[in-house]
Amino acid sequence: MVNVVGSDKWSEIEGKEAAVVDFNATWCGPCKMMAPVLEELSGDYEGKVDFYAIDVDENPDLAEKFSIMSIPNLVLLKKGELADRSVGFKPKDALKTWIDSQL
Amino acid sequence: MDRYDICIIGTGPAGISAALTAKNRNKSILLIGRKDLSNKVIKSHKILNYPGLPDITGEDFVKAMREHLDRMEIEITEEQVTNVYAMGDYFAVQCAKEMYESRSVILATGVMPGSLLPGEEMYLGNGVSYCATCDAALYKGKEATVLGYSPKEEEEAAFLAEMADKVYYVPVYKDEVKLSDPKIEVIYGRPEEIRRAEGKSTLVLDGQEIVSDGIFVLRDAVSPGQLVPGLETDGAHIKTERDMSTSIKGLFAAGDITGTPYQDAKSVGEGNIAAISAALYLNGKERSNG
Repeated sequence: MVNVVGSDKWSEIEGKEAAVVDFNATWCGPCKMMAPVLEELSGDYEGKVDFYAIDVDENPDLAEKFSIMSIPNLVLLKKGELADRSVGFKPKDALKTWIDSQL
Repeated sequence: MDRYDICIIGTGPAGISAALTAKNRNKSILLIGRKDLSNKVIKSHKILNYPGLPDITGEDFVKAMREHLDRMEIEITEEQVTNVYAMGDYFAVQCAKEMYESRSVILATGVMPGSLLPGEEMYLGNGVSYCATCDAALYKGKEATVLGYSPKEEEEAAFLAEMADKVYYVPVYKDEVKLSDPKIEVIYGRPEEIRRAEGKSTLVLDGQEIVSDGIFVLRDAVSPGQLVPGLETDGAHIKTERDMSTSIKGLFAAGDITGTPYQDAKSVGEGNIAAISAALYLNGKERSNG
């Protein structure tokens, strides 16, 4: 499951071993297409990687913090540290390869 | 929504050939392109090496292909494809007017004129964007540069100016620019390069440089990597295997888009292979699903 969160949940995310945070917005077409793909991935990686979604309109502070200039923007965090990011829609297989390369 | 077996994008010789073969294999197809098929073929004066059609003109060749499609009862959907999303089990084909779904896709869009600017690909998503409507909101209180390749991009610049503090607009066309927003400054010049340093993007023109928070590159024709996010490309061409498969499962490519030689005979052959490979892919999938 992808947890839709805001800044108030940030400490929870920072405590995770590995987390993928999807910065998105309601008006972004590619973000909408990516949501079901991330939902599937969150099932595949259950217990290994936690998935979160953050709306950049509602959380400009976090968007600023991670210098989000383009969405969809996936940020992979390991214990709160930025490990890597992936910008733009990506097919499921490509995302899997990306996540695996970071674990 | 109906989910097609094979969506063929492009109505040049490769796309037509793929459509005819796919139809012969009894697949449900969606052929997206233009009713006049291909401007590029129409404009070829004479085709000298197409077997069985000596000295045929491009115009007659297109007419013959059109008749062939009619005889096979294949319709053409006139749409502008903006994105093809690989959703896993199927593809979502996003067009200007509508969204279609297909279990496999054959890309036969031809080659895009013009090439990428140095630095463009490297900084995509980090100071370079292709989508003003997607990323405009991230430019609140910031400065942006818009490189517009056709007058319709002026609308995008105006939209961006609603959010950003300042927009530099560089038209890459001859028509008069009709932008009146005081937040937009129109700058003329030939783009040469994109640089990125210290959180700022620089658009290098012949004679001057524009520094801003980000650059929007808005073209009519998109490169294959933009059209299908995540697809492995080789610059303007798509990397394909012998069976015309690409780096994405279920996605095939044929014709000029796969590389030189840019010849009708070669495109027709590849379209045929791509359709057969797509049919095999679909049959295999059906079998594995029991």
